[in-house]
Amino acid sequence: MRKDIKNKVYPIIFFIVLLLIWETVSRFEVFPPFILPSPSSIIISLITDFTSMQYDILITLYEALTGFIIAIILSVAIAVAMDSIIGFKKTIYPVIIISQTVPIIIIAPLFIIWFGYGYAPKIIIVTLICFLPIPISLLQGLIAVDKELIDLLRSMGASKFQIYKFVKIPSAMPGFFSGLKIAATYSIMGATIGEWVGGKSGLGVYMIRAKQAFETDRVFAAIIIIVILSILLLKIIEFAEKKNMPWLKIPDEYYIEK
Amino acid sequence: MITKREKTVKTSIIVLLIVLVLILGLPACQKQTAGESGLQNITLVLDWVPNTNHTGIYIAKENGYYDDEGLEMEIIQPSEGGSADLIAAGKGEFGISYQEQVTYARTTDDPLPIVAIATIIQHNTSGFASPADRNIKTPADFEGKKYGGWGSPMEEAMLKGLMEKYGADYSQLEIVNIGASDFLTSIARDVDFAWIFYGWDGIKAGLEDIPINFILLQDVDPLLDFYTPLIIASENTIAESPDLIEKFLRATEKGYLFAINNPKEAAELFLLDNSELDQELVIASQKYLSGQYMGDSAKWGVMEKSIWDDFSNWMYENDLLQKRLESDMAFTNEFLPQ
Repeated sequence: MRKDIKNKVYPIIFFIVLLLIWETVSRFEVFPPFILPSPSSIIISLITDFTSMQYDILITLYEALTGFIIAIILSVAIAVAMDSIIGFKKTIYPVIIISQTVPIIIIAPLFIIWFGYGYAPKIIIVTLICFLPIPISLLQGLIAVDKELIDLLRSMGASKFQIYKFVKIPSAMPGFFSGLKIAATYSIMGATIGEWVGGKSGLGVYMIRAKQAFETDRVFAAIIIIVILSILLLKIIEFAEKKNMPWLKIPDEYYIEK
Repeated sequence: MITKREKTVKTSIIVLLIVLVLILGLPACQKQTAGESGLQNITLVLDWVPNTNHTGIYIAKENGYYDDEGLEMEIIQPSEGGSADLIAAGKGEFGISYQEQVTYARTTDDPLPIVAIATIIQHNTSGFASPADRNIKTPADFEGKKYGGWGSPMEEAMLKGLMEKYGADYSQLEIVNIGASDFLTSIARDVDFAWIFYGWDGIKAGLEDIPINFILLQDVDPLLDFYTPLIIASENTIAESPDLIEKFLRATEKGYLFAINNPKEAAELFLLDNSELDQELVIASQKYLSGQYMGDSAKWGVMEKSIWDDFSNWMYENDLLQKRLESDMAFTNEFLPQ
């Protein structure tokens, strides 16, 4: 109990001190408000603008979640294929790595040219960004299964499918979830990047409008929303992880917060 | 025999020395070569990608007019429209902006300390352009269409004001942010119309044989004949380095006068610095624009108070500005060469 409180209290105090310093600096107008708004003005615009932001938040969430889910389906399929079909891994692996090294910020405008200003390019960007972490960690998990377990099942006459179902997939779960968590933190950001390049609505468009109106406190408010959404997504995945792997004793320090 | 401990100590010392050298060396590398050639470094931030609105500046650079004034000019491209916030933040001495951006920036709750010091073009050559088949002839036709812009509230204000003047329903207009997308690409498929400078995108459409309808803003309402683009400086620069501004404008005016009198050579000089641009477009655009820089004025760059007041009053009366613009603080002709 003591350790818990300590874990929470230290960062909270540190954070509050930082905010106070920031607020004081802003009060003394060291930087003009359009360069660095004060925390109080950010919170105020967050509260007052929340209702008008709601639609944009939903749009960005929709793009992020859709892209995320597509990425999950694709990466599970590809990871399992890489594991079970010989030679597939050798051909696909380099392609995956290369797809991840392409700078998204440069590719995004091209996507707009190819796919227009609707949801499609944003969802594709999210899928691209979220894709890599999942198959890699999932593949590691699948490969790292105890060989003796597989031999045991084989000696009992298990089919390939049964081997997957009873041994490989459960043991790959921890890797899968850690990949999911990494991808989740990128998903909201990916949708926002897609919107910057062009779009009608969404948090990214909201941020550009605020910036063009020289309302930097609104830009920060949007950033806060993005951070909150990403953390929420992370928490949901952690919850699913705990539920899915009750046999795994994961120490509490493993999670961000209890 | 060297012990493990000694080895660790030795390695740590070497690493520390390397780090120290790097840290000390870094500022020396980054130091500007100010005074290396005896010239004063200045930075100009463009409003967009380089185009023929900026020719005079590039000519002044190429022909050495800035050097003659003891200035080392660096031209920077920002990521989106207008340089107002960068200049206000002191990231450059001069910037390219628009009267509507200056008007908006100076009337928000937290006004930006920027001032217009010269106008590049005397009359407003911008307007709303659309492919001919969308049948957009007046702002009334904006209803039910899609506008592609860069996300500035000034665009929304302008569209609202125009549509209401023509009795059209502003809520029936869809506004999409198309960022830095090319005009012709966007209107082909994604949007119906956009706000362009005739001298660039209008000419381009003509060269590509794409028929467009162009609504020239000054035709819609004489109060909309505002100055765009123009050159801005921060209030700080004005207070601290007035002679810098005079030198800069002297050289820049020379550049634009050269462009006015020699459009073809001007286009070629401009292309030297911007070889990735379409030659045909630059030459055709320069031919058009060279006659527009000075317009009917006796001097380049001069601005009149009535133009500033008319426009800001139009905006304010249409509820598009938070407060009236104090035009005397927003622009000045005092640094232009006499």
